[in-house]
Amino acid sequence: MINGGAVLKNFIEYIEDSCKNIKDSHIAYKYKRKILDEMTERANEVTGVGLRDEKVLADLLADEYPDLEKNFYVYEKEEKKKARASLLRKIFAIGGVLFFIAIFVAYFSISKSTGAWDKTWLIIVGGIFSMVIFYTSFLIKRLYHWHRFLHPLARVLIATCIMLVAVFTFLFVLMMYNPGFSWIFVILGVLLSFVADLVFAFATKQKFRTVSLFVYIPAIFTMLYIILAGMGFVSWLTGWLLIFVGVAIDLIIFMVIVAHNAKYFMYKQEDEE
Amino acid sequence: MKRKLNAELWDKMHYLFRDFNDRMVHVELNYDFVLDVDALKTVIICAFEKVPVLHSKFVDKKVSTHWEVMPYDIDEVLTVSEPENLQEAVDDFLTQYIPPESHIQMKFALFIKDSKSTLCMIENHMCMDGGDLKYFLKSFCENYTNYVENGISPIEYRTGSRAYTDVYTGFSKMESGVAQRLFKNINARDDHKFPLTSDSIRDASFIARKKFSDDVLAKLKTKGKELGATINEMLLTAYFYSVYELADFPASDQVMISSAIDLRRHMGSVDDKGFTNHTAWMQCAIPQRGRDIFETVQYVVRSSNRFKKDKFMGLYGLPLLNFGYSILPHVASEEIIKIGYSNPYMAMSNIGVLNGKQMSLSGHEPIDAFMSGAVKYKPFVLLTATTYKNVITLSMCVRGNDKDKEIVNKFFDLMEKNINTLIDE
Repeated sequence: MINGGAVLKNFIEYIEDSCKNIKDSHIAYKYKRKILDEMTERANEVTGVGLRDEKVLADLLADEYPDLEKNFYVYEKEEKKKARASLLRKIFAIGGVLFFIAIFVAYFSISKSTGAWDKTWLIIVGGIFSMVIFYTSFLIKRLYHWHRFLHPLARVLIATCIMLVAVFTFLFVLMMYNPGFSWIFVILGVLLSFVADLVFAFATKQKFRTVSLFVYIPAIFTMLYIILAGMGFVSWLTGWLLIFVGVAIDLIIFMVIVAHNAKYFMYKQEDEE
Repeated sequence: MKRKLNAELWDKMHYLFRDFNDRMVHVELNYDFVLDVDALKTVIICAFEKVPVLHSKFVDKKVSTHWEVMPYDIDEVLTVSEPENLQEAVDDFLTQYIPPESHIQMKFALFIKDSKSTLCMIENHMCMDGGDLKYFLKSFCENYTNYVENGISPIEYRTGSRAYTDVYTGFSKMESGVAQRLFKNINARDDHKFPLTSDSIRDASFIARKKFSDDVLAKLKTKGKELGATINEMLLTAYFYSVYELADFPASDQVMISSAIDLRRHMGSVDDKGFTNHTAWMQCAIPQRGRDIFETVQYVVRSSNRFKKDKFMGLYGLPLLNFGYSILPHVASEEIIKIGYSNPYMAMSNIGVLNGKQMSLSGHEPIDAFMSGAVKYKPFVLLTATTYKNVITLSMCVRGNDKDKEIVNKFFDLMEKNINTLIDE
């Protein structure tokens, strides 16, 4: 029969013995406590099934919790990371409020001192956009780590952030210099969104990333054509040929992929024999 | 918190086979002593804790699937009794069905009679195939012996990945690249069926067995060497020849029988791998029956050699299956895969030699041992062959009626006749 007290003592001894090289600290205590609680819960589970041999129970659980010392350092790193994240959250929450107030203070004081009320509203727009981008970047990071299923949402948010920067740049250039081609920044934003999405797709090995590549390259060249033609670097009449450059790059990539895969499909079993 | 395990490719495939068989794998081991029930319980609990898929339920959420680890009680897993009629008790236990939604996927029964023990086990094929089950039994028996005799905790089981991609681990980088691009579906259909009666709700599962005398194996080996055939090919030949006669197929018909192959042949070490399925079919087709059984052997050897020469034997279609399961919701993948997949009407699985030493408990080797595949639903049949102490046992698990039993037994008689012709002439 299982003696609960003896089992607990066994676990404590096992944990203390495995962690003897770990310096005493609050994190070390938390770690040992966590392991002890988990082992006790597992022991209850397994004895509930019908296991009655104390030694087997101890060995089984020790086998489930190997390398306690090694795992402690991983746990310690995670705990420190969590503590940093918690501190950052507090700073960001308070900082957010302070930044919001600062935007309005800056808006009113600059407007009043310069009298340029028709332009200073950009301070509010820029401030709010930068706050949104700042907090969204944390959300994107969280979505990325959370679940692969949420990656499409992260991709949409990345594009949103880029478009916010592009729209602000467009408004800024329009209001400050009004060069006549400020709308190009919005198109540039679309182009950069495509590039960022491609980078995300390849960096995180998304399904159908190669298909995205084939779709995005001509789309990127279309945007490039609009930008260059809008700025007068290429003619509107002939510049659309740039789109074919995109299609040609697609074709080259396609052929490279086919050539790469062909060596596998054309493989003859005698080749390596 | 719920503990989930990945549903691997083969788990999903065997789940899809629910229309063709009950997915239960059966084991019966007879010992000439009475097992220690408490020790047996301890060993089973440790096995279940080390292999959590054995106490998990399969969750089909239509979009995706997974295993969910469930609580259980040892008394649900192990039944101990002293039956009046041992064979009836064994058959009743072995022909039961564990649904994948059950919280346990393996059951044991210990029958004690006349100071002897019969240890029976059934297991859901979704958890592991015959190859790994043999390995599991070996570990199980070793653990029991070490625990009872030396007090060593019975926790030595292989644990690790259950992924189908492990089959590529034994290949070079180039070969692995080739194997992972074998999208070709090599499933061929053959409409020749084993002549069972049509389906009825009165049908019940039964296991028909046929044991051969202990000199048959040696004779098959000798004759096989002479004819350039393996034991598997000799048995397959007898299967072909018998089924032509039983079903009255025209001698000029091409007939196909699928033979199970263990894909572990492609893998390096399996010591760090979990218990799972790595079995595929080799479709052995003969162009016609042959004028005599010796001509049939040549057809079988020729067909099987075509597969053996292929470095990637059994790996065709795996990337396609994986692609199908990974791009679509589970329910849609199943429908698409069903279109391309054709389950063989007639199949054979040669589990091979059951090693008495490996299955000995406390120094007692089993006096008899038997293992068989799933109960097939008509018109599908699977002939299982096992060898223990040089005795070949053929078995067929069918959900059928008394007439089907007669047909299967007649088939076994034909097998015996044809094997005798093979070895005696």
